[in-house]
Amino acid sequence: MQRTLAIAWLTWKAAFRFRLFLVISSLLLVSVVALPLVIKDDGTARGFTQILLTYTLGTITVLLGLSTLWLACGTLARDIEDCQIQVVATKPIARWQIWVGKWIGLMSLNAALLAISGAGVYGLLTWRAARLPANQQAVLRNEVLVARGSAHERSYDNDIRQETEKLLRERLEKGPADRVDLAEVRRQIREQVRAEIENVRPGAYRPWEINLGLARHYLKDQPLYVRVKFNSAERSPSGTFEALWQFGVPEKTEVYRPGPMSLAPDTFHEFVIPPNLFDENGVLTIVFVNPNNSTLLFPLADGMEVLYREGGFTLNFIRGLGIIFCWMALLCSIGLAAASLLSFPVAAFFALGLLTMTLASGTMASAVEQGTIAEFNSETSTRGSSPADILVIPAFKGALAIINLAKSFSPVDSLSTGRSITWAQLGAAFFQIVGVLGGGFSLAGIWILHRRELAVAQGTQ
Amino acid sequence: MTITEQMSTKPQLAGNHEAVVKVRGLTKIFKDFWGRPKARAVDNVDFEVRRGEVFGLLGPNGSGKSTTVKLLLGLLHPTKGHIEVFGKSPRHVATKSKIGYLPEESYLYRYLNSRETLEFFGNLFHLPKAERGNRAEQLLEMVGLSQVHLRSVGEFSKGMQRRIGLAQALINDPELIILDEPTSGLDPIGCREVKDLIIALARRGKTVILSSHLLSDVEDVCDRVVIYYGGRIQAMGTLAELLAKPDAIRITSPALPRATMERVLALIRQDVSEDKVRVDTPTQNLESYFLEVVQRARRAAAETSGATSGAQVAPYLRAGESSRSGDKILERLTQAAAEPEPPATVSQPGPAAGVDDKKLAALASPNPSPSAPVPEPVQKRVDLDQANEKLSSLLNKPPGQ
Repeated sequence: MQRTLAIAWLTWKAAFRFRLFLVISSLLLVSVVALPLVIKDDGTARGFTQILLTYTLGTITVLLGLSTLWLACGTLARDIEDCQIQVVATKPIARWQIWVGKWIGLMSLNAALLAISGAGVYGLLTWRAARLPANQQAVLRNEVLVARGSAHERSYDNDIRQETEKLLRERLEKGPADRVDLAEVRRQIREQVRAEIENVRPGAYRPWEINLGLARHYLKDQPLYVRVKFNSAERSPSGTFEALWQFGVPEKTEVYRPGPMSLAPDTFHEFVIPPNLFDENGVLTIVFVNPNNSTLLFPLADGMEVLYREGGFTLNFIRGLGIIFCWMALLCSIGLAAASLLSFPVAAFFALGLLTMTLASGTMASAVEQGTIAEFNSETSTRGSSPADILVIPAFKGALAIINLAKSFSPVDSLSTGRSITWAQLGAAFFQIVGVLGGGFSLAGIWILHRRELAVAQGTQ
Repeated sequence: MTITEQMSTKPQLAGNHEAVVKVRGLTKIFKDFWGRPKARAVDNVDFEVRRGEVFGLLGPNGSGKSTTVKLLLGLLHPTKGHIEVFGKSPRHVATKSKIGYLPEESYLYRYLNSRETLEFFGNLFHLPKAERGNRAEQLLEMVGLSQVHLRSVGEFSKGMQRRIGLAQALINDPELIILDEPTSGLDPIGCREVKDLIIALARRGKTVILSSHLLSDVEDVCDRVVIYYGGRIQAMGTLAELLAKPDAIRITSPALPRATMERVLALIRQDVSEDKVRVDTPTQNLESYFLEVVQRARRAAAETSGATSGAQVAPYLRAGESSRSGDKILERLTQAAAEPEPPATVSQPGPAAGVDDKKLAALASPNPSPSAPVPEPVQKRVDLDQANEKLSSLLNKPPGQ
């Protein structure tokens, strides 16, 4: 361990001697302080705090991510190019220890930078919150600066799949279809079935049954928060739509019917409902009545959510930073793995390319969802097919499965919406991002460095 | 007339037959990106390095010396052939604790100062903190950098970087020291100190592999050498074997009266034709002369902001049972570095010159020339005898055994 820590210590020395630590930490702190001065919000304390959290944490993630990749590529590739590694590798230290030492050095540096910038964000938030009127402070404490659990409606995936297949069979019984059409027909039927569940036609109503699970035991006499979002194909003259709600089931639970609400489409709305509206099994029944002349669509993924207080903001914030730290660990492994094989500029280009590809995985997801990489034909409203699909689509599926191991966590979004980031989530993030993904890159990097001839490079000092 | 042996600081090193390094059929071919052969840097090389000897890899630039060194250290992989270092693969991690390596350039971290550099490498050898600090201090003293230990290595001159490079190579008190062009960039004092250090280490039973294209480096310290050219070994053996001219002798003596000289020459001419006899005044070599001038300047308390002369081999490098026998010699050797001996009696080889009366008269004068000091071989022999006696008393053995 002494040897590994000596390598880690070297990384710290370099960071301080080259004033890297000073520059990055200053940059992070400036972004934390300066961003609130330029960002625009909806004028409410809640909106401002949410945007502040999103922007500052987003900026910290991007800055730290880029510097981590850059440093990881540089610290190893430069050592190899400048031949210092030739002296180190002739000492009784295994190459995996050199690699791990660099990783520990960079990650301890990241931990310090993340702690400094995180403390800056936290300090700024609490300072600004303390200057707000008491009622706004209460709103912040209940809706943003809090760790809230979340409950959704049950998944409709199986129902949609079964209904789609049933309708498809009925359709096929009426007339045959070739293979290409079959996929397209299935997709269209699936969309129809999904729309049946999501759409609330004029004058119709839509019930949700949301199970609060074990949380029901400590949610007695606690208010709940409903977070909704809907879309509309039509515009209303006022820009908003009327909404009528009922929470609870008459004669079974207490019932709450707020007055008509005027809500804008395509955005999230959050409102508080009184305590004790769920039944003894913890099921909260919500009914929406559509008094408008337009059909409203509540997306299955995020159309309806019930939030409830689970814990304080401080620990939640720390856990959120923990997930960001896991991302940094992955980037560090990617950078070091690239530098184990490639020269500094090529390694940096490769690692940044990989990062960009990961961030742009939406295109891949879309292709996988459509089952083809062929373009959408707007005249026929259908997609064609490509001979490359047979290879590309499975490759995209594989890539997405890997990418989603890291992308399935959203600490910034959770923190800005006051959602709870549980220890289990943090553990899962550590396992998936650091263990599985980072471990894979690390093993590859260590193996490459172990096999590599380190004295091929001529010194560039 | 007295016939003296050539006096040199180079000791008769006592290597034994245990091979520390074995190289068999070693070949290294560098390939391009597509795996096509680009250069055959080392071609079917065989040699062994025995414990306690100073082994020289000699050859012009690009002859394969440094490649061989890097193969021995596991930094390159052989294309063909077999290498054993202490009976293990060169990549065996634990074996590296017995090795010290000074690369051809000072590949050190430029942002560390010299003390931090030694601390860092000491950590890689798992040395305890106190021991690291102690050794670092002694080594800095030895290489003459103790006064500049807070300056970062990147600010050092090339010579100073070589010195700290040498210090890091010795932090672990290695059994095998591999030095690639160790005197490159050093001033003559530094060169002399490095060579003395190599000899001192060999006296302690350390094995030294020295790669150099500087013939004087190799000649001054090596027991055996291989001469590389084009990646192949062109010659191998002890320096005595390679350099001896058995059909010629050299006689050196203090200035003699003309009559004596004539008698001696007449005697020699009875067996050898006149054109094969050469008589000249021995001159000291430039290194010795330079060291003498610097020593005079130092006595006049001249100050320098650069590296100072390292006057002592680090005490921990002299520790241990085997080192006790070498302590006095080490001291003598390091003393020699600090206070250069009178000019050596080694004459510079030159074109054969015939003997004429005029020259003979000049040579026979009692004080031939102020610029050519008379050597003191007898005094030197006395010093050596005293050192041997001290050494013998330390070992409880009578001199000569």
